[in-house]
Amino acid sequence: MELLTPQRRLAFKGQGGDLFAVLIVNWLLTMVTLGLYYPWAKVRRLKYYYEHTELDGHPFHFHGTGREMFIGFIKAVGLLALLYGAFFGLAMLQEAWASVLGFLVLFGGLLLLLPLIIHGTYRYRMSRSSWRGIHFGYRGDRNELYRICLRDGLLTLVTLGIYGSWFTINLRNYVMSHVRWGSSQFAYKGDGLDFFLMNLKGYFLTLFTLGIYGFWWQKDMFHYYVDHLSWNFTDGKRLQFKGTATGGGFFGLMITNVLLVIFTLGIGYAWAEVRTMRYILANITLVGDADLNNVAQTEQEHKGALAEELGDLMDIGIFL
Amino acid sequence: MNDGVEAVLYDGVSSRPLEARVSVRAPNALVVEHGGERFTWPLEHAGMQWERTRDTLRITFGEFPRRVLIVRDPLFIRSFVLRMRYTGRQGVYDRMLGLARSGPVLFFLGVAVLLVASYVWLLPWAAEGVAMLMPRTVDRQLGEAAWGTMVHSLDEDTARSRTLQRFGEALQLSPDHPLTFHVVDDEQVNAFALPGGHIVVYTGILERMDRPEELAALLAHEGTHVQERHSTRMLMRQLASYVFLSLIIGDASAIAAVVAKHADNVRNLSYSRGLETDADRHGMERMHARGVDPQGMVDLLQLLQEEAVDMPAAMEFLSSHPLTAERVAEAERLAAELGIPAVTRPPLDGLFQALRAEEEEPVSEEVMAE
Repeated sequence: MELLTPQRRLAFKGQGGDLFAVLIVNWLLTMVTLGLYYPWAKVRRLKYYYEHTELDGHPFHFHGTGREMFIGFIKAVGLLALLYGAFFGLAMLQEAWASVLGFLVLFGGLLLLLPLIIHGTYRYRMSRSSWRGIHFGYRGDRNELYRICLRDGLLTLVTLGIYGSWFTINLRNYVMSHVRWGSSQFAYKGDGLDFFLMNLKGYFLTLFTLGIYGFWWQKDMFHYYVDHLSWNFTDGKRLQFKGTATGGGFFGLMITNVLLVIFTLGIGYAWAEVRTMRYILANITLVGDADLNNVAQTEQEHKGALAEELGDLMDIGIFL
Repeated sequence: MNDGVEAVLYDGVSSRPLEARVSVRAPNALVVEHGGERFTWPLEHAGMQWERTRDTLRITFGEFPRRVLIVRDPLFIRSFVLRMRYTGRQGVYDRMLGLARSGPVLFFLGVAVLLVASYVWLLPWAAEGVAMLMPRTVDRQLGEAAWGTMVHSLDEDTARSRTLQRFGEALQLSPDHPLTFHVVDDEQVNAFALPGGHIVVYTGILERMDRPEELAALLAHEGTHVQERHSTRMLMRQLASYVFLSLIIGDASAIAAVVAKHADNVRNLSYSRGLETDADRHGMERMHARGVDPQGMVDLLQLLQEEAVDMPAAMEFLSSHPLTAERVAEAERLAAELGIPAVTRPPLDGLFQALRAEEEEPVSEEVMAE
């Protein structure tokens, strides 16, 4: 008998003890090298996550190297130092116009860097990710991204932040819809209004329930990110992503994680991280009858890791 | 196709997983069989890479797009890894990770012990070494900067400061730093030294003294702080501590940060207690060398101890200069050991009387000639 809707599952196979070993060696080496080891540590950690994430029983792979990340790291530090240097240099003049100019240089610079960071982060990260030997890729256009960021950024400013929901979703629609895996392509179709209303509801209910609804808000957010994602293949077939997480599930996960971290004075962090990854990945299902065996390698090798590091330094968590 | 173990092969062209069998053949080559075809991947080849997790081995080979082989057979993984280790292709990182993985908690404890040891012994030693390498002009600049910020809020008695200056110079306390003495009109029973040479004595403490030896002891104590560069050393230790702790903690939890901060405070406190005892001891040795009876230090400490019981104003002095019975006992022991000085004391009585006088009165020529 044939299954009506075949499902494919994601799973995280990592273990707390193993991740702990990776993290502690990273920590030790980063400390001993006064922080210089950081890019290599990041690669080790990413590799652990990728290698232990399986879709349909096949593991993912991260191809990035510490060297690439280190070069990006140095450039990122240099760029930020330049911006902050200009800012503080102008502030030192102790004149009103210089301070204003300093702020403009700093925030204008950061704002102009943002699309560049997103673009570069996706390009680097996707080109360095593979599954079943086929590389992912990001084929978005940088100028188009600038156009979206400038238009939506201004609208967000004018509407005092309200348009931020539309900004987030437009950005996500564009970026995720230009991610590909070999000859197949992802698509994300979110709507700014839905996202705004969901957050509005989440915000007020969380306020009224003294934070308890926060876990259900989290669930809604998770579903919003997952359920609008699909994966399209050249033969016209597709896989639809579906979230199965529940508010109660998030509640149990987070409470136990907080206790786990507090009562072990932070040592339990690795175990908490593994539990989170397991929960999240176990609750993403891919529904559809697309054939994953007929995807061809299409992406070229890509070099450069500047944006990855910049994104990291500025704490822009754009990844699921 | 009956030798070798099962593996999954991805050819880098299509996403289709291929069934394959893999075995290691001498000399140093991996043989991959798939659908009647046979590939040989030399183990020493530059395009040969491998990575393992707890239960999978990933071997990649060739140029982009690379061919990938996933093996899950535990026996094969073990023998392959052993072989690669034997050919010397395992780095320091893998060794360390292997160690950490075999006993994560034990490894963590080992690292923790190492860290604590370097924090307690290595770090202070290095920080003090750096402090002592810094030129003495640094002390002076630090002290002048601090003095500049506080000079306006202090009610200095310049006439008595001049007298105290003569008193201090007669003792020749600090050969490397010229000392500048200040008398400040204030009820507090307190005195302090800034790095580089400013020493401030409050009238509150002056008025409670009976003998010039006590004042000599106070100045010798504060002078030692200056001469031995205690402030600069303390500053360097704190700075090193701060950098070390922020390196360790990095982005770890806030709880760990709070614990570490308190650990640091406790340590600084015990270090500053050590510095006070140090200043007592070196101060007494200096007094003895100048012909001043070191018993003066004992008297001073006892006087301060009584003050601490009598009046809460002395609390401030207590918090920065903890006066324990131990410290007095230590001073008594050292006084007995040093004995009566062999050299004669410089003339101090006249200056001391002038300092003690309630009203400001110029020092007479007789006192100067004493």
